[in-house]
Amino acid sequence: MKSEPRIAGGFVNDSFQQGHMLRDRAAFPAPKRVEKTKVVIVGGGIAGLSAAWRLQKRGFHDFVLLEMCDQAGGNSRWGENEITAYPWAAHYVPVPGRKAVFVRELFEDLGVLKDGKWEERYLCFTPQERLFLYGRWQEGIEPAVGLKQRDRDQFRRLEEEIHAYRGTGKFTVPMDVGFTEESADLDRISFADWLRERWMDSNILNWYMNYCCRDDYGATTDQTSAWAGIQYFASREPDEKGPLTWPEGNGWIVRRLLERVGGFVRTGQLVHRIVQGRSGVNVFSGDARYDADFVIFAAPTFLAPYLIEGMAPLRSFEYSPWLTANLTLDRIPANYGADPTWDSVFMDSPTLGYVDATHQTLRTHIERTVWTFYWALVDGSPSQNRRLLLSKDWGYWKEAILHDLERVHPDIRQCVSRIDIMRMGHAMARPTVGSIFSPERRSMKEMRGRILFANSDLSGFSIFEEAQYRGVVAAEHALRRLSGSRATG
Amino acid sequence: MGILLFITVLLIAACGLIYELVAGTLASYLLGDSVLQFSTIIGCYLFAMGIGSALSRYIDRGLAYRFVWIELLLGVVGGFSSALLFLAFAYSQGFQFLMYALVIVIGVLVGLEIPLLMRIIRDRYHFRDVVAHVLTFDYLGALGASLLFPILLVPHLGLVRSAMLFGILNAAVALWSTFIFANQMARTAVLRTFCVIVIAALCTGLAQAKRITQAAEDNIYADEIIFARDTHYQHIVLTRFKDDIRLFLNSHLQFSSRDEYRYHEALIHPGLSAIAAPRRVLVLGGGDGLAVREILKYPQVESVTLVDLDPEMTRLFSTNAMLTGLNQKSFLSPKVHVINGDAFPWVDSNTDSFDFIVIDFPDPTNYSLGKLYTTTFYKAVARHLSEQGLMVVQSTSPMFARDSYWCIAETIKQSGMLTYPYHVYVPSFGEWGFVLAGHHEYKPPTTFPAGLRFVDVKGLSAMFQFPPDMAPLSMAPNRLNDQVLVHLYDQDWKDISH
Repeated sequence: MKSEPRIAGGFVNDSFQQGHMLRDRAAFPAPKRVEKTKVVIVGGGIAGLSAAWRLQKRGFHDFVLLEMCDQAGGNSRWGENEITAYPWAAHYVPVPGRKAVFVRELFEDLGVLKDGKWEERYLCFTPQERLFLYGRWQEGIEPAVGLKQRDRDQFRRLEEEIHAYRGTGKFTVPMDVGFTEESADLDRISFADWLRERWMDSNILNWYMNYCCRDDYGATTDQTSAWAGIQYFASREPDEKGPLTWPEGNGWIVRRLLERVGGFVRTGQLVHRIVQGRSGVNVFSGDARYDADFVIFAAPTFLAPYLIEGMAPLRSFEYSPWLTANLTLDRIPANYGADPTWDSVFMDSPTLGYVDATHQTLRTHIERTVWTFYWALVDGSPSQNRRLLLSKDWGYWKEAILHDLERVHPDIRQCVSRIDIMRMGHAMARPTVGSIFSPERRSMKEMRGRILFANSDLSGFSIFEEAQYRGVVAAEHALRRLSGSRATG
Repeated sequence: MGILLFITVLLIAACGLIYELVAGTLASYLLGDSVLQFSTIIGCYLFAMGIGSALSRYIDRGLAYRFVWIELLLGVVGGFSSALLFLAFAYSQGFQFLMYALVIVIGVLVGLEIPLLMRIIRDRYHFRDVVAHVLTFDYLGALGASLLFPILLVPHLGLVRSAMLFGILNAAVALWSTFIFANQMARTAVLRTFCVIVIAALCTGLAQAKRITQAAEDNIYADEIIFARDTHYQHIVLTRFKDDIRLFLNSHLQFSSRDEYRYHEALIHPGLSAIAAPRRVLVLGGGDGLAVREILKYPQVESVTLVDLDPEMTRLFSTNAMLTGLNQKSFLSPKVHVINGDAFPWVDSNTDSFDFIVIDFPDPTNYSLGKLYTTTFYKAVARHLSEQGLMVVQSTSPMFARDSYWCIAETIKQSGMLTYPYHVYVPSFGEWGFVLAGHHEYKPPTTFPAGLRFVDVKGLSAMFQFPPDMAPLSMAPNRLNDQVLVHLYDQDWKDISH
């Protein structure tokens, strides 16, 4: 056997142990102290941090944010080594359109948007994306080489359909702005069926549609609601120059948010019970009981029935298991003549390829780098894949990742010195058929009780803008009700 | 036995001549004027051989033992001579001194060889046979070496490896002499150990030398390659043809010593002379020190900060005698501070202000270099300009890469400065363009430092005129997230090369 350098690494940021404690209704100690606060935010991902940002910006300081992990950020967590900062999951935000008012406001706060112009150093440097197909690289991910006339016709017809949907104004970011009952029919069939009904059966078009759904939703077109498939394309302008990105991905936004609201954030705080009463809510975490007027529940919604006393199990929330890995490269592999690119995708791979963390740097000379490798496990059921994630050891996943990369970079084993792997059983909500318009989801968005749900999974899919929108809306709602109760009481 | 002895003679003669040829060829490559180099080297060498022969009479005991030592020494000194000379040329001022010292040492040792050998074997043959056979094989060896050297060795092995190969032969002669003359010497085991060590060292050298000579085998350079090095960051090649020295970085011509004064005077003086009292100057790129040479013509300038990525490059241009001759030892001036780092992050994080900023990067041939020609970069640089400050940007050719040139000009304008594009003719480059920029209106200077060969007040206004074939084009600016310039540049040069 050819000798190869030893590759170090292991699993990092595992959180299923805490999750399983909740699932199995483990016994938690009784509270030793009581803290009174107006608002408790549960969950320190983008939704929770955005709620905190909004409360603080409105001059409201009587709140705490409880985060289960030792690091806030949720799906926007980041890591750092001697080479660069790098993302653990979400790594970009598409340039926000006019309707994403809250996102634009946040980016103005953070200096990303100045006088109506996007700060250039945060727009993804060129070259942005490439696809490996037929043994070579092409620029961009939408397949452009080797298309037959039939493929071209279908891409064009799809583009026309999407263009028409875009024109209706019903597909927006955030989704609530354009959300209407008229689109409900699209939620009754899968995106794959929708394509089939329109005779869009080109293999290459279907590969691309599947890639898009796996990338944004962690699902195949069969598993995705047609509404969500159309939303993916029709909610964004086709000619936007972006996306916005940073070496640590959306971790950069988390860092900026923590600079502002870090004082309210308590990490390593596993909330294990929430009891809603007539005049307030009790939140149990560690040895403390928080007595609050309102809870903003920004943690993944599937946890709610395990935490909130008396809550019925959820039926329309399905989640995709994901695996991400950060690979430390001590040298840059051969590139087949292509320039180093931000996002690299391989045609006909089960994985989503990798993003280069040193791409968005001002340096002109890069010798070592970190690649963030993405893999949504979509073949088979989510629960099967969650079992697979937990049952296989690090060596198995390391080999699987290297195997995938090796097809494209034959010298990858000589370049990589470390592979850290993060396993996420419930990485993101899946917009399955019927989930977007499900009565259960829509009633949870209404925020009638004292527990205000804010996670992006209420939208049916996990993207930054939805999480930020839900966090801000929940904060606004809490403030309104608090000032209302003060006025009446 | 007899034939082995005479093959020994043949080999040591060949080795001696090879070392001499290597030194002569190297000196011609590096210093030019091959007639002078070969004459002085052959002269010194023969003279040193005479000294060696004269010294041989003072050796009366242990002839064979000492003969082996001489062969070993020759193997080491001769074998490494070429590599040593290349390194000395690159990194020291004492190349010529070292070269003649090596020639003399080798000559003395070679001069000792034949007299000692003749005395060692004089009891085995008649005296007249000894003289006849030894000298016959000596001259045969010389003929072989002088034919092998130009036909096989230089083209296929290069100078460094040829010397090492013959060093190994020298040491091999030493080793087998310990067997042939075993009955005439003591302590053969020690001698043999040393022989093996020397051979091993030279073999290692032979394997490693490939890296030094690899570049010399590239045939893209028209002239003799006198220096080639793969640094961490780039491939540096210096060539020389007569008095014309050229620097190539990654195969792109950076300057020709015949006309670089045109480029560097035009880069510096139209801007720097327009500033009333320039005190602090920043140079980004320009690791050859030639722009700094021009800047130091202003006594008011108190400090010059130069940021260049490649420490090997600035070191080469600080230490090599030929190159410091070109830049007039500009890097050795106490006013000059060299920072080896990536320019963009440095500009982005540093807060110093400068009266004049020179941006002299390689052309935007790829996306990495293209970052240094973006609105974001120029905005970051502009923050460093003092109240009266100006900056100048090397902006490729407005003739051969007209789109690229005007794209760079537009990019600088879009970063919020007033721009003043100009161009000059540099024979080895063709028509070349620059862009002056600042926050205030540019007033052309009315005087220049004394002693300029190209830039003068009369010719200045013509530089700012663009004839129709280079006239301004309306271009989009180059931004980090589209890098239109890299595509334009690629297209521009494709258009003229087909």
